[in-house]
Amino acid sequence: MTKFTLKSGSSITKPFNKVWIILGVLLILIVTFSFFIRFEPSLINLSELGVILEKMFTPKGERTWGDYFGFVFTLWEPLVSTLEMSLAGTIIGSLMAVPVAILAAKNIFKSKFVYLPIRFFMNLIRTIPAMILAVVAVYFVGIGVLSGLIAITLFTFGIMSKMLYEVIETVDMSPFEALESSGATKTQAFRYAVFPQIFPVFLSYLIYIFEINVRASAVLGYVGAGGIGMVIKDNILYNYDRVGATVILLFFVILAVQFMSNYLRGKLQ
Amino acid sequence: MIKFENVGKTYPNGVQALKGVNLEIGDGEFVAIIGLSGAGKSTLLRSINKMHAITEGKLFIDDIEISSIKGKDLRMLRRSIGMIFQSFNLVKRMSVFNNVLTGRVAYHPTFKTLFGLFPKEDKILALESLETMGILEKAFSRADQLSGGQMQRVALARALAQKPKIILADEPVASLDPITTVQVMDDFARINRDFKITIIANMHHVDLALKYATRIIGIKNGEVVYDGPSTDINDEMLVQIYGRSLKHDEVLGE
Repeated sequence: MTKFTLKSGSSITKPFNKVWIILGVLLILIVTFSFFIRFEPSLINLSELGVILEKMFTPKGERTWGDYFGFVFTLWEPLVSTLEMSLAGTIIGSLMAVPVAILAAKNIFKSKFVYLPIRFFMNLIRTIPAMILAVVAVYFVGIGVLSGLIAITLFTFGIMSKMLYEVIETVDMSPFEALESSGATKTQAFRYAVFPQIFPVFLSYLIYIFEINVRASAVLGYVGAGGIGMVIKDNILYNYDRVGATVILLFFVILAVQFMSNYLRGKLQ
Repeated sequence: MIKFENVGKTYPNGVQALKGVNLEIGDGEFVAIIGLSGAGKSTLLRSINKMHAITEGKLFIDDIEISSIKGKDLRMLRRSIGMIFQSFNLVKRMSVFNNVLTGRVAYHPTFKTLFGLFPKEDKILALESLETMGILEKAFSRADQLSGGQMQRVALARALAQKPKIILADEPVASLDPITTVQVMDDFARINRDFKITIIANMHHVDLALKYATRIIGIKNGEVVYDGPSTDINDEMLVQIYGRSLKHDEVLGE
């Protein structure tokens, strides 16, 4: 609380900002809980880290550097399926999110009975980690790219529906009013007043989620959801060098996807 | 012709915005509605295209009683009435041309308009409306690149593209500078004269209302307290409308 007194003699007091209390309580909670985490420095073995890195980034046994990098070229097929399931999952999941996001937006459907149940359903989907979605999908449709696709579709749906309805709620509704006053139906007013405002944002989110999904789907293969993650899983016990080569490939692919994503999203501004 | 018969409007929160309004506005008139903020100007204006529905009395447009119409009939009514807003209500990231084309949307069935395609006549009409407003060269600029005065002209072009019989203007110049204000008011006068479109405008500035409108309707607490030619209005009547006499600089608006 600060009190300002002006030359004229009048004074005004700036009220205390409650955010500081919340931050203080959070800090105390974090410090308290950190005492319960068992932390034993003696278990950290840095020399082992060096050994593993050496195993990953040098050819194993009698293999040559040619073999090491040659392995990368055999990864074409799983790499393409990883990218394919990321892209297809991103697009399908995003399209599924559109009608749900519209139903969840308070400024479009003003009734609580519409947007509250929809939001609850959306929150429910988002509580499930992508990895668990993949495990369940593998259980239902078996090991392979299809289960990865299902996991990524649902994961995308969760993020996109949430982000999109928040965008719809920040849209300028004044052109909607203008369209309605000119005799347009609500659907037409949405198409011409709201859609042009959200479409570029939707595309930008779609590209960003694709970027997230490429990273995620590399790991999803680990639980049997196909793609490059399965290569890592198959080699991690005995062929560290192959895991290393795969990691190097993934590094460059993800970097390329990120560059493309930044470029395209820049164009959409 | 627009005819109010004992029209009243009570909002769900109990606020009585209009009381016992009786009016007749003929085709081709230029009417200014003046009064304090909250007097009911906006409610009166918006009751004409049923953006606000009245709760008492009857409202006729060309002998059709509009308080009972809904659905397609209501949309047909609204289609024949253009509306201009204080904040222009354009889609800012869309081109001027596409904004004006939205004035044609109500002429087509919903499913046909979903893909954003319009017949050639609509496109020509949109461009001609822009030409009428003197901003044809801005047709393919984004709306957010225009000045306030230009945006209001685009909004007018959008209204003209509707081929309206009536244009309602809710504080059309309240967010414009004095010079642009005069230009936009001149545009209203021109549209009124050349196309015989009835213009009904809510105005803050009394001097502008007196200069451009041929008829003044003064509202106080939801009731019409003055209705007559703009040439007949005097200080005494302004006292009636505003509750006290206006100083010289207040009449001049700025």
